[in-house]
Amino acid sequence: MDDATKLEQLMDYIMKNCLWQFNSRAKDRRKQNVGVLTKTTQLLCDEPVDNPTPLDKCYWVDAVCLAEAYRERYPWLATMDKTAIKTLMQKLHERLDWLTIDGSLNEELTVQHY
Amino acid sequence: MPYHEFECSKVIPERKQHAVIKGAGEDLTSCLPKGYLNTIPGTISERGCAYCGAKHVIGTPMKDVIHISHGPVGCTYDTWQTKRYISDNNNFQLKYTFATDVKEKHIVFGAEKVLKQNIIEAFKAFPEIKRMTIYQTCATALIGDDIEAVAQEVMDEMPEVDIFVCNSPGFAGPSQSGGHHKINIAWLNQKVGTLEPKITSDYVINYVGEYNIQGDQEVMLDYFHRMGIQVLSTFTGNSSYDDLRGMHRAHLNVLECARSAEYICDELRARYGIPRLDIDGFGFEALGNSLKKVGLFFGIEDRAQAIIDEETAKWKPQLDWYKERLRDKKVCLWPGGSKLWHWAHAIQAEMGVKVVSVYTKFGHQGDMEKGISRCGEGALAIDDPNELENQEAMRMLKPDVIFTGKRPGEVAKKMRVPYLNAHAYHNGPYKGFEGWVRFARDIYNAIYSPIYQLSGLDISKDEIAADKGFVTRRMLSDAGLSDEIKSSPILTEYTGKYDSVTDLRAKTYPEFERKTAASAAE
Ligand code: SF4
Repeated sequence: MDDATKLEQLMDYIMKNCLWQFNSRAKDRRKQNVGVLTKTTQLLCDEPVDNPTPLDKCYWVDAVCLAEAYRERYPWLATMDKTAIKTLMQKLHERLDWLTIDGSLNEELTVQHY
Repeated sequence: MPYHEFECSKVIPERKQHAVIKGAGEDLTSCLPKGYLNTIPGTISERGCAYCGAKHVIGTPMKDVIHISHGPVGCTYDTWQTKRYISDNNNFQLKYTFATDVKEKHIVFGAEKVLKQNIIEAFKAFPEIKRMTIYQTCATALIGDDIEAVAQEVMDEMPEVDIFVCNSPGFAGPSQSGGHHKINIAWLNQKVGTLEPKITSDYVINYVGEYNIQGDQEVMLDYFHRMGIQVLSTFTGNSSYDDLRGMHRAHLNVLECARSAEYICDELRARYGIPRLDIDGFGFEALGNSLKKVGLFFGIEDRAQAIIDEETAKWKPQLDWYKERLRDKKVCLWPGGSKLWHWAHAIQAEMGVKVVSVYTKFGHQGDMEKGISRCGEGALAIDDPNELENQEAMRMLKPDVIFTGKRPGEVAKKMRVPYLNAHAYHNGPYKGFEGWVRFARDIYNAIYSPIYQLSGLDISKDEIAADKGFVTRRMLSDAGLSDEIKSSPILTEYTGKYDSVTDLRAKTYPEFERKTAASAAE
């Protein structure tokens, strides 16, 4: 399976099942994407995850569920080494930022107030 | 952009930007209709006004409150009773509605006096109720009545009462969504932090954007209580006014309907550092994940897992009975705001139906982002549709069932398309594991109702066979099924009771020991 297909599968799961990537403002979306995907990558690479604040913990719970779903649905993840997983997750992050923030057509993302 | 232009709306060219068909390879950067804009003149919208959004959707589900509209009686009448947000105090908020009954003379001479008189009269008529919400309407906003000042005067004279003022007249936004926004922010600014709640658990949440439609909130509260979680308040279904004043003390905001209530969650996150966790209470997998996430946040995920295992074992075979009979049925998912994304993926994955169209009356582009992501190729997405567009879409897509409100629903019925009430439900609650089976049961009953064979016959000209009865629901649904499925000993129809909520009110829950003496003494 090539990287593009893998990326598509990972993205499809997020878009169909998750809500954390769709906060209403761009600044929050960026924080959510970094928060959840950084921790998901750490979990997939069996690295320790630090949750010093309640907000971190909130990213972490979404990351735990995402990592579990990925492992269960995509057995090819188990055949990848940590560096390859990190590269793939980095691409996923860039793509998600593009779809939900930088390339988004949602005109309310930059509204100043909630 | 894969815009879809309706034949009937060619005379309103701006409408074209409000509908898209998701084609192969399309994503959110190429396929998103406009949203949350003023309705275009010439198109007859199905939207409500901003007063309605504030009062009818968000304010009124609070249960121990006199909800009074400052304006003509029509505003109040049109926002009374049509949403089934029940409560465990004998539905006070549904049974009674109040209005100041503003007339022409008040518009000329001012309506503040009549407002004060009405407030006092209402409190006297219901002496056990000490809390009130007042809603501004168009007429009283335009004459400049100072409702806050009148409310303060009453509170000074009657120190035992507390009053919340919602300044969201009908014109305060393009749709009811403008009112959701206004009341979120007003409640936060005026009331949150004015009462210190009693903390009784190590795990404390607000359950936000949940309106207890036919008991949804009570089903979810049952799960939270079984996990030993204190639900400080629900914003706002079946909730007490005073509970909602203590929202600032929660450890976590669990957000269900982001469309109507994300504003207060975002502000609570910014002002008080309370995290916002978005959840889905609909669908086995999404609900299971939601409970698990709340459990993980507090380190009690084992309690969540126990509920998921128990409920899934009990209800999954019943859900699957319906799934076998609903496969590939075409659905138009046409709700108000949030259900297009709450339901789009879950009904396809867990009930086997196909969503051919999503629409939203008052949603924002953010809702469409979620909805379009969750439905497949070929789906038609429409923002703020009008009735002619709906009819054209139904003729084009030929859906087997429509989930929408009662006004467009009645139109669908006349076109012989079954509809389910997406806002107030048919036989809910639809949240929770059992609720999801009830929803599947209602979909099944709608699609296979024998009435649709009979209603296609015109007795003035069609031949009516007098020697044959109509084909029953079961004969229709089982016609193409294998014997193995038809006679499966595992799959069964819904076995729950007609009323799945009332018993929950008498339920008792295990006491969980608190972690530290210090926290117990809080
Ligand atoms: S638009 Fe104005 S007058 Fe009409 S129901 Fe809404 S508040 Fe009342």
